[in-house]
Amino acid sequence: MRLSFFLAEAFESLRRNWVMTIASILTVLVTMAILGLVLVTDRNLKEGTTSLKNRVEIEVFIKDAATDQQVDAMRQRIQALPQLRNFEFITKDQALKEFEATLGQNAKEVLANLTVNPLPRSFRIFVKDPNQVDAVAQQFFNDPIVDNDAGTHNGVAYAKQTVRSLLGTINLVEKGMWVVTILFALAAVLLTSTTVRLSIFARRREVEIMQLVGATNWFIRWPFVLEGFITGFVGSFIAAIAVWGANVLVFNWIHNSKLDFLKPIRYPVVVQHGTWPLGLVPTLVLVGATLGAIGSALALRRYLRV
Amino acid sequence: MIIFENVTKVYDGDVVGMQDASFHIEKGEFVFLVGPSGSGKSTLIKLVLKQLEPQQGRILVAGRNLGTLRRSKVPLLRRNIGCVFQDFKLLPNKTVYENVAYALEVVGEHRRSIRRKVPEILNLVGLSDKTNSMPHEISGGEQQRVSVARAFVNHPPLLLADEPTGNIDPETSIGIMQLLLRINRTGTTVVIATHDREMVDRMRRRVIALDGGRLVRDERRAGYEGVEERTGYEGVAEHEA
Repeated sequence: MRLSFFLAEAFESLRRNWVMTIASILTVLVTMAILGLVLVTDRNLKEGTTSLKNRVEIEVFIKDAATDQQVDAMRQRIQALPQLRNFEFITKDQALKEFEATLGQNAKEVLANLTVNPLPRSFRIFVKDPNQVDAVAQQFFNDPIVDNDAGTHNGVAYAKQTVRSLLGTINLVEKGMWVVTILFALAAVLLTSTTVRLSIFARRREVEIMQLVGATNWFIRWPFVLEGFITGFVGSFIAAIAVWGANVLVFNWIHNSKLDFLKPIRYPVVVQHGTWPLGLVPTLVLVGATLGAIGSALALRRYLRV
Repeated sequence: MIIFENVTKVYDGDVVGMQDASFHIEKGEFVFLVGPSGSGKSTLIKLVLKQLEPQQGRILVAGRNLGTLRRSKVPLLRRNIGCVFQDFKLLPNKTVYENVAYALEVVGEHRRSIRRKVPEILNLVGLSDKTNSMPHEISGGEQQRVSVARAFVNHPPLLLADEPTGNIDPETSIGIMQLLLRINRTGTTVVIATHDREMVDRMRRRVIALDGGRLVRDERRAGYEGVEERTGYEGVAEHEA
């Protein structure tokens, strides 16, 4: 392969058909930007839902009467759970401190009247998959050392209804994002190949002449493929930078926002901010450049049939 | 060089391009293909280039059977056939020099030999001063000479010309014909499709006449005369006799 010749041909043709070149770059830019936004949104939602999922916990309260051996036995049971992600043991002192923290300014007044610490010890259990919460929680319902009090409270606390509706929503959103991502990827391929086909249609006579002079198909194809690659590279690079910039801007806006309803989504955004957009730039550029190259090769196919 | 054996080509819609045509063209010959529009001249040239496939019959070009020639080998066939067309078929975005050089790039010539051969051939066709012109900047006759230069720069054993003087004034046409004659003298087989009656009469070369896709006349040292008055069927009889 005579790379220098093919590259010269590709750049020459890009320069000569500069209107078409700009059109192609813009097409790639727009489609890749949309695809990029879909991917970033998808990622943000995933990070967000994952962090929500991870906060689903089961708290098992222990009767004060339970002996240390009994508590140890339960600790071992919990450690042996196959669904376990991690767990922590809250002592009576820790429970009181947490309670104090939630009370805030009124804490001293309220707690001053307490002679003993009424708060029970507890295990906080986090499972790998929030779908397993129900099953795990039920295992502890009737344990003798669990602080059940018929009528007033249950010794095993977990957000049963919340978890269920949350999971339903998350699963739906994840499926929806898959569909949207695939649709936009498809649209990107079609739009790009249409643009490429248009520019090649304008030059079908050239292709015919090349064939008559005895050029092999690959000899004709390489400059076009390189052209597509260059166009795709430039377009998607600009798109990737734009998406990355938009992501940072939105993140900063949410982070500094004083609007209450944005608070819940701060945490997931913080998480994704550090990792994903860095990978996004090469991903989009690679996809865009490959798309351009393959699009060119495919669009040429019909004119290369002898 | 070219052998047609009972070749028939029918286009979609039952349009006959070539009907049961058989002839031999020997190495080094200079042959005119004559006949009115639609008589099959262009079909014949396209068949030789394997731009078209016949429904029946056998075509051999330079010893290759085109029927069994693999698609991937078609470019190799074409590199051995120089082509000149009525509409020149120059690459519009390339200079005169680049157009001729392209035929050499295609066969993988070294840069250095391209730099040597292109000026040489442009000198031969008398276009040394137009090297860097674009095709649209030069006259039709000059464009046709570029096209001849491109067809001959590889020194192919066979040169096909489809109405090479069709778009050119008579005076310039003579120049093109002389060029093709010179090329023929180097040993290259030259086949020219034309309805330039005057030219054919003057040159007195082998004439293959076509009408309605049939070969109606094949004479050595003949003129154009008589072809258009014939109905074709008489011609077939004459040919088969």
